[in-house]
Amino acid sequence: MAKTMLIELEQVNKTYNRGKANEVRALRDVDLRVAVGEMVCLKGPSGSGKSTLLAIIGCVFPPSSGRAAIAGRQLARLPDRFLTIHRRETIGFIFQRFNLLPALSVLDNITLPLLPLGVPPKECRRRARVLLERLGIVHRENFPAGRISGGELQRVAIARALINNQPLILADEPTAHLDSRLSHEFMAIMAELKAAGKTIIITSHDPLVAEHPAIDRVVEVHDGRVGDTAPEDHA
Amino acid sequence: MNRALAKQLNLVDFALSSLWRRRWKNGAVLLVFAGVIFLISSFHLVTTALTATTQRVLAPAPDIVIQKMTAGRQESIPLAYQEKLTGLFGIKKVVPRIWGYYFDEVREANFTVIGVDPEQMPLAEHLGQVLARGHFPAAPANAAAPEAEIAPAALGSLVSEALELEHGAFFSLFRPDLSLKTLQVSGLFRPESDLLTADLIALHIGEARDLFQVPAGLATDLCVYVYNPAEINNLARRIAEALPDSRVLTREQVARTYQAVFGWRSGFAAVCLLAALAAFAILAWDKASGLSPEERREVAVLKIVGWETPDILALRSWEALLVAGFAFLLGLLLAYIHVVYFAAGLFRPVMVGWSVIHPHFTLIPQLEAQDVLLLFSLTVLPYLAATVIPTWRCASVPAEDALSG
Amino acid sequence: MRPVALAALGLLILLACGALLLIQGRGLADRQQAALPVLEIAVAGLGLTDLCLATEARYTRHPAVSDPLAPFMSHPGSIEHFPTGSFWAPPPPYRRQP
Repeated sequence: MAKTMLIELEQVNKTYNRGKANEVRALRDVDLRVAVGEMVCLKGPSGSGKSTLLAIIGCVFPPSSGRAAIAGRQLARLPDRFLTIHRRETIGFIFQRFNLLPALSVLDNITLPLLPLGVPPKECRRRARVLLERLGIVHRENFPAGRISGGELQRVAIARALINNQPLILADEPTAHLDSRLSHEFMAIMAELKAAGKTIIITSHDPLVAEHPAIDRVVEVHDGRVGDTAPEDHA
Repeated sequence: MNRALAKQLNLVDFALSSLWRRRWKNGAVLLVFAGVIFLISSFHLVTTALTATTQRVLAPAPDIVIQKMTAGRQESIPLAYQEKLTGLFGIKKVVPRIWGYYFDEVREANFTVIGVDPEQMPLAEHLGQVLARGHFPAAPANAAAPEAEIAPAALGSLVSEALELEHGAFFSLFRPDLSLKTLQVSGLFRPESDLLTADLIALHIGEARDLFQVPAGLATDLCVYVYNPAEINNLARRIAEALPDSRVLTREQVARTYQAVFGWRSGFAAVCLLAALAAFAILAWDKASGLSPEERREVAVLKIVGWETPDILALRSWEALLVAGFAFLLGLLLAYIHVVYFAAGLFRPVMVGWSVIHPHFTLIPQLEAQDVLLLFSLTVLPYLAATVIPTWRCASVPAEDALSG
Repeated sequence: MRPVALAALGLLILLACGALLLIQGRGLADRQQAALPVLEIAVAGLGLTDLCLATEARYTRHPAVSDPLAPFMSHPGSIEHFPTGSFWAPPPPYRRQP
């Protein structure tokens, strides 16, 4: 049965500083397709182009050439503004160091993506509390993010990535600064989200992530090229 | 609610929380800015109140005042000059005055002595209304020898206070030859007229002549009254031609002098304050244009979770507008209170000069929309420009900065 | 209460204070206006050309009719240096130089 593709990259190239002395070709002829509901691990050393690939999938910027379609939208044709709008409707980011604003409360951190959408404060708080209850940290909602534990920070970061009910979750080296217990907890939550229908891409060179049973595929990234580009079709 | 309005309200909420998070720093900025606005507004309000009061109150002043000038200095004008003016058509009457300053060495205070003939001055028959008690000094019974009699004098409130004199009391003043002239308080000016009469010792012109030992045939200056106010400037020119050694002052020039005096003084102070404001704006620019790593990260995170560059600019603009707006209102209110209820006590000496005896007056500035707009443009707009323009550059921190390298 | 509502409340309070002050000021101005006829008579009857704001040097007590120039001034455009030319009051007790 053919699966619906959420991410389709065809012959994608990304070159920084094209034509200049410091020209860098970060991605070369990348083909990658990710189906809805898949959990994929992008694995590769530093400088391999993982972050550039993640940025293109994350609608941060379009490719220099090639075709990139995320959730049905061709990135190359989208002006910056619509790229941002598409990103906030489609993608939730979880960062390496979570990138929460420590001075803001847990609730305020989670509802950050909703503010420029004009969502009223009550509705923002309601949605955030639903997620906090699901993740088991509703008792921390008014704590400043700078004063909660690593595990709780992780859950707040996940909640922020889900606040707009985005179908695609991108996690950039999420376990790089976590101990193994928290890494296991993180992957357990990712597995739950996958079971709920989310599509998840995780960049990591942590074997705990790459070898986790919930991971459908590991895509190797080397020198801007990728291997194992398509999901297996299950007949 | 309209989405755009809801979005702006969310941004204002976020801006306020952001300001509150650094409340001590932002509070200090707000107070300093309010202080600068308070000072600039106070000066502006005092200047406009003083010039407006002057124009209103001095409207019935003599149409033209003529002074004799010798070697660039004023000296007594011969009464014979009145005859030279009789040929000029349009002059209603010419009235001499003798006036000057009396320095009280004991109290080191200056009083203004003024001597007029009430029968010749306009509205002088109503001068009694200006007095709280008593009557205006009449002509001496023996005009040929006024030094022989006790001269009646009407005193302003500060004079009676300084010399501790009640109605009917006797006092003496020194003539230039150090002989004593005895006077009796015939009337006390009303406190409502303090703005004009506070330091006055009003005498009949004959008594003033005796006090200052001004020779017969001379006066301090001549007051000229005309039939047609529209002809004042024309007549002033013709008087200047007829009396080439005189200085001819019209009422309009009097009013402009006040504007110039207050304008000069308040302008001097305003220049100093504008320098302070410029320093403040430079600091604000410096603060806004340098992004710390945390601030860069914050902008990158906001971008990656879906905030656009205009949203970030709007956020910073709201922060600046909230601080500037509240500082402006606070500064302006305090300035109004300072000018009206404390008579601009903080810098009255700057505006009007210091004195040993202190005339009381209440200044009520007429605060108009154009004054508010002027003050707003002078203070808030430069601050907004200084904070928002550099933010433009900082708001363009790319979203991918939030990703690892 | 939302922060924006608190800010709006603060703004309203400040504006209300401002309005009250302006109304009060109007009242004071009206009272001053009521005293204007008395001042008119004083000005006309005595031929006054200046307000009694500061009572020291002639160019501040009577700026309208004072000499525009004085000898030994430090600068042609500046006003002569009598104490009232200064911007600040002298320290008490003030003693004259011998």
